[in-house]
Amino acid sequence: MKRDHREISGATDYSSGSGSRADSSSIGNSIKGKLWEEDRDAGGMDELLAVLGYRVRSSDMADVAQKLEMLEMVMGTAQEDGISHLSSDTVHYNPSDLSGWVQSMLAELNGPPTPNLDPVLADSDFNSSNPQHRQRNQSRVFHDDSEYDLRAIPGVAAHPPPKSDPDSDSTRKRVKTSMSSSGSDGDGSGSSFSSPKENGIPGTVTESSTRPVVLVDSQETGVRLVHTLMACAEAVQQDNLKLADALVKHVGLLAASQTGAMRKVATYFAEALARRIYRIFPQDSLDPSYTDILQMHFYETCPYLKFAHFTANQAILEAFATASRVHVIDFGLKQGMQWPALMQALALRPGGPPAFRLTGIGPPQLDNTDALQQVGWKLAQLADTIGIEFEFRGFVANSLADLEAEMLEIRPPEVEVVAVNSVFELHRLLARPGGFEKVISSIKAMKPKILTVVEQEANHNGPVFLDRFTEALHYYSSLFDSLEGSGVAPPSQDLAMSELYLGRQICNVVACEGMDRVERQEPLSQWRSRMETAGFSAVHLGSNAYKQASMLLALFAGGDGYRVDENNGCLMLGWHTRPLIATSAWRLATTESG
Amino acid sequence: MALNHHRSCYYRQDHHETVGENKEKRPKFFINDHADILIEILKRLDGRSLCIAASVCRLWCTIARSDSIWENLCFRHVSPPPSVRSVVLALGGYKGLYMGCVRPVRSRLGRARRASWARDEVQLSLSLFCVDYYERLGGSNSNGRLVGESSPSSLMFLCKPVNV
Repeated sequence: MKRDHREISGATDYSSGSGSRADSSSIGNSIKGKLWEEDRDAGGMDELLAVLGYRVRSSDMADVAQKLEMLEMVMGTAQEDGISHLSSDTVHYNPSDLSGWVQSMLAELNGPPTPNLDPVLADSDFNSSNPQHRQRNQSRVFHDDSEYDLRAIPGVAAHPPPKSDPDSDSTRKRVKTSMSSSGSDGDGSGSSFSSPKENGIPGTVTESSTRPVVLVDSQETGVRLVHTLMACAEAVQQDNLKLADALVKHVGLLAASQTGAMRKVATYFAEALARRIYRIFPQDSLDPSYTDILQMHFYETCPYLKFAHFTANQAILEAFATASRVHVIDFGLKQGMQWPALMQALALRPGGPPAFRLTGIGPPQLDNTDALQQVGWKLAQLADTIGIEFEFRGFVANSLADLEAEMLEIRPPEVEVVAVNSVFELHRLLARPGGFEKVISSIKAMKPKILTVVEQEANHNGPVFLDRFTEALHYYSSLFDSLEGSGVAPPSQDLAMSELYLGRQICNVVACEGMDRVERQEPLSQWRSRMETAGFSAVHLGSNAYKQASMLLALFAGGDGYRVDENNGCLMLGWHTRPLIATSAWRLATTESG
Repeated sequence: MALNHHRSCYYRQDHHETVGENKEKRPKFFINDHADILIEILKRLDGRSLCIAASVCRLWCTIARSDSIWENLCFRHVSPPPSVRSVVLALGGYKGLYMGCVRPVRSRLGRARRASWARDEVQLSLSLFCVDYYERLGGSNSNGRLVGESSPSSLMFLCKPVNV
C-alpha cells in the first residue's frame, strides 16, 4: 500500500501502520521514509491511535495529521473568540472518525487558510489529494497593509464556490517537485487518493495552474473582510441576492477573526446588509427616549457632541453679544445638554445676563410622557441657580417640516434676538421631498440673527447604493476607530452604548430606503450650496471657538488623534486625516425682514 | 526643617548659639495665632499641598477647606470675570470646580499649555462644571439614562487615566 507521508514538525511522531516500507524508496524520499518504518498494522488501522480509541486508517494518517496541524495553526493564529465556536458548535457524529471530524471543522472555516511555511518543511515531500478533502483557496496576490484600502481584486472577492474536487489543486509550499510524482503515479492499488494532477507542482505561491496558498494573517483577513463587504454590497446593488446572502455569511465569519474597531464595524455593516437582503427593516419608530439614552452615552465617550455644542454655543454667544432678551430655538432638544454651558456663559457675560428663552422641539414620546417639559424643568432649575431669567416652551413634532414659525410665538427682533440651532437634524429632512425647503422657509420667517448647523461630514445621500455603502464604510470605520482610541476601558457600558448608537445609524443608511432612510448625511460643501441658494450667508466662527474646541479635544484621551480644522469659517472635527463633524453658522443674507 | 537641624548639628557652637538665640527670641509668633497670615500663605499653595496642609491640624483643616482659598487656586493667573463667584458658589463651590474641572483640565493640557490660554482654560472648566451640575440635577426620571445606572458622568472623560 502506498503511503504518502511527510514530516510533521513539532507534532508527535506518527507511526503509521501501513505496508509502505517497500514503497518508500519508490517515492524517492528515503529519509522521510524511515520515519514511517515503524509499526504497521496489517488491518489498515493505525495501532497506536487505535489504543486511544481513534480508528484511523493508516492510509489516511498523513492527511489527518496535516489537517490537524492546519487546524492547530489556524486556531492559534486566529483570535480567541473567532474559532472556539467551532469546537462547540460543530456537530461531531462519529467520535472515532477523527479525520472526518477534523475535516468538518475545517470545512466550517470555509476555506481554511494553510499556515505559512515552516522552513524545516520546505523540502518535505507531500502529495495530498483526498476525495473528502475540500480545500477552498483563494488567491492572494498583493500584500496590503491598509485595512481600509479598497483596491478591488477582480473576481477574488467573490465567494469562492465550494468544490469537492478530488483533483482540487491545493498547493502548499511544502509540495515538492516532480520527485514524488513518479512514485505516486506508479502505485494505485490501495491508495484512495492519489491524484496525478497534484504532482509536479512546484512549491511556489502563485501558480498559474493552481490557486495559491492563503496566508493566515489577521491583517490579510481584514483586507479580505473589507473586500467581501464591498462585494456583498455590489451584489445587493445588482440585485443578486443569493450571492449577497452567501457573502454576508462569509463576512460574519471573517469578522469574527478580527478584533477591535474593524470587527465591530464589520458586524454592524453585515447585519445591516443582511437586513437589506432579507427585507427585515429595522423599526425606526423605536422609543425616542432610548435613542436619547444612547446619545447620552455617545456624548460622554467621545468629543463629537461636545465639540458640536461648544462651537455652536460660541457662535450663538457672539451673536447675542449685546442683546437683553434672547431666544434660542433648538431643533432637537433631546436632553438639553447643550444649553447649560451657554447659560453659564450668558450669566457671566460682562454687563449681566440677558433674559433667556428656550424653545425645544422633539419627537413624540411613545409613553406619552412629556420629555420636553422635564428637560425644560431641569434647565429652569439651573437658570434659577445661576441667576438667569428663563422661559421654556416645548414643541412635539414628528418632523421639523410640520412646524410653522407662527406656532413659536416669535417676538419682533427689536425685543428679542433669535438664534436657531440644529445639531444633526437637518439631514433627516432630505428624506422627504420638499422637507428641507419648507423648514428653511420657516427658519427665515423666524428671522434669526444666527443659525447654527452641525452635521456629519459624509456623503450618505448619493443616488447609488454602492457609493453610499462605500462612503458609510469609510466614515463609520473612522468613527469607530476614534472610539477605540478614546482610552475607555473596554468593558465599558458607555462605549458599548455609543457603538450601538452609531450602529443604528449604520443600519438606517444601509438597510432602509425611501422615507425611512433618514440618515442622509451630506458633506459641508453641499450644505453650503444649499444654504447659499436658500439665501443665507456664512458667519465665520471666530478664533475663540477654535481655541475652545482645540482645548476640549486636548482633554480627551486619545486627543492626539482628534484634529480641529478651519474650513472657510466653519470648524471641522476629524480623526486623523478624516473630517467627521462640521459646524457652520449662517445668517440671513438680506439684513432686513425678507 | 530636618535638614536645617542636621546642618546645625555640625556647628556645635552655632548650635548652641542658635539654640540660645532661639531661647532668647522664643517666637512670640505662633503661626496658628494669626489666621490671616496663615490664609495668605495657604492661598499660594498648589492643590496637592493644600490637601496635605488640611491634615496638619484642625485650624489648618478649616482654612484649607474654605472656599476662598480654592477660589484663589482657580483664578490664580486670571482675573476672574465679574459675578463669577455667585455662579460658582451656586454650582457647588470653588473646591468642586477646582478638583472636578480646573485641575484635570490643567494637568491634561499640561503638555500643550500656553500662558495665554489660562483664561480659556478657566472658561472651559466653568462650562464643564456647569454641565456636570446640570446632569446631577434630579428630575423625575429624565436623567437621560436607564434606571439603575451609574451617576452622571459628563466629566468622566476628565477622570480617566491618560496614557503618559
